[in-house]
Amino acid sequence: MGKAFDIMLIFEFIPTLIHYLGVTLQILAVSIILGFVLGIAAAIPRLYKIPLLNQLVILYVSFIRGTPILIQLFLVFYGLPALLMLLFSIDITRMEAIYFVIITYAISNGAGFSEIFRAAIRAVDYGQTEAAFSVGMTSRQNFFRIVLPQAVRIAFPNMANSVIGSLKDTSLAFTIGVMDMMGRGDTLIAATAHALEVYLSLSIIYYIVVLLFEKIFSKLEKYFNRYQKADVTAVA
Amino acid sequence: MTIDIPFIWVAFKEIIKALPITLILTIVPLLAGFLIGIVVALVRIYKLKYLYRIANGYVSFFRGTPIIMHIMVIYFGFPLLLDQISLRFDLGLQTNNIPIILFVLIALTLAAGSYLSEIIRSGIISVSNGQLEAAYSVGMTKFQAMIRIILPQALAQSIPNFTNIFVGFLHTSSIAFLVSQKEVTGAANIVASVNLKFLEAFIAAGIIYWGITILVEGISFLLEKKVTAYNRGGVS
Repeated sequence: MGKAFDIMLIFEFIPTLIHYLGVTLQILAVSIILGFVLGIAAAIPRLYKIPLLNQLVILYVSFIRGTPILIQLFLVFYGLPALLMLLFSIDITRMEAIYFVIITYAISNGAGFSEIFRAAIRAVDYGQTEAAFSVGMTSRQNFFRIVLPQAVRIAFPNMANSVIGSLKDTSLAFTIGVMDMMGRGDTLIAATAHALEVYLSLSIIYYIVVLLFEKIFSKLEKYFNRYQKADVTAVA
Repeated sequence: MTIDIPFIWVAFKEIIKALPITLILTIVPLLAGFLIGIVVALVRIYKLKYLYRIANGYVSFFRGTPIIMHIMVIYFGFPLLLDQISLRFDLGLQTNNIPIILFVLIALTLAAGSYLSEIIRSGIISVSNGQLEAAYSVGMTKFQAMIRIILPQALAQSIPNFTNIFVGFLHTSSIAFLVSQKEVTGAANIVASVNLKFLEAFIAAGIIYWGITILVEGISFLLEKKVTAYNRGGVS
């Protein structure tokens, strides 16, 4: 196989691997969007203390935060088909692996987001709600026009971190056989036996994408804080 | 495919034997990474010439790439590097004899160092400047002020963050199974493959991780109460 380590190979592999960045980003985007919806749905019972649902959400969040994403991936991959078979006798064992990955990451992101939303909505000063009521807004108007816009601003940095963390987590999707960047890297290793070079090129790609995301998010954060005075610590 | 509930207990008893390795893979990197983290944080706070650029690069790169990459690059790269060195200096090192767990520990330590340095840094920055001024005013040196006044307060404030990192690395250690380590996830995988009961084995592994996470969060909660008992602001 020639030299044991060839630095040029790192740059030769990058174009091949970057071709599969789309799959990685697709997993990320869909699971973030689904996770967002799930997160809102899970935050509502906790904010309004809806009995039973509240306890269920606490259990859900605790479980997701208490187990590694790898275990969650395996549980969905092996558990979801069994569950659907048992309850509705639907056979999804032939479903493509990428859907299992998206479902897992959506469930995982949903738990994280629900906690972030909850904390952000709690962080909005109650005086804002009182002021909204005092000018005659309904509770619904208050939520959508007053509380939510401010909560988004507070939640944004945490959400950005979560998205970046999720991007890095997608590198585990290949363990159940998804052909993303890591999966393609695996086949490259099998073909060329240059594992180190493949992983170095993958690191470079991930690093650049993460840096890009960080840049975009910090721009967005500035935009969200544009009406904010220097002191943003004044939250109750 | 149906669920064999009694087998979960059988798998649980088998998998929990691998718990010590998971704990080693969690605690050792965090302790070693803590030392790296303090040094890196201080280098970045005092902006030591040249060194702080290296420290910035280290933190940014390790936080910007998935941990699986660190494990893989060191797993494949370290033996190559050692072979070259041993060939050059005629040391006669046998890299095949080095246990794989050592590579995993090195990779996780480097990753932990970068994450912990950020936490320690933000902890140090959050200690009010008046504390430093007070320390100087009673004649402490820069070193004494840091060790006796700033660091204890910074670390006490960072306990929730340390807990998050601990839980995060407990979960991250599951990646080690990809380089054939027999920790909890690896053991679950073996039990699953031998008995062809994947779902049950991963449920058992999930319960183990979940249990430890809840335990750690409980301990941290008590610790936080104890450490911050003297931290009273205002009139309360």
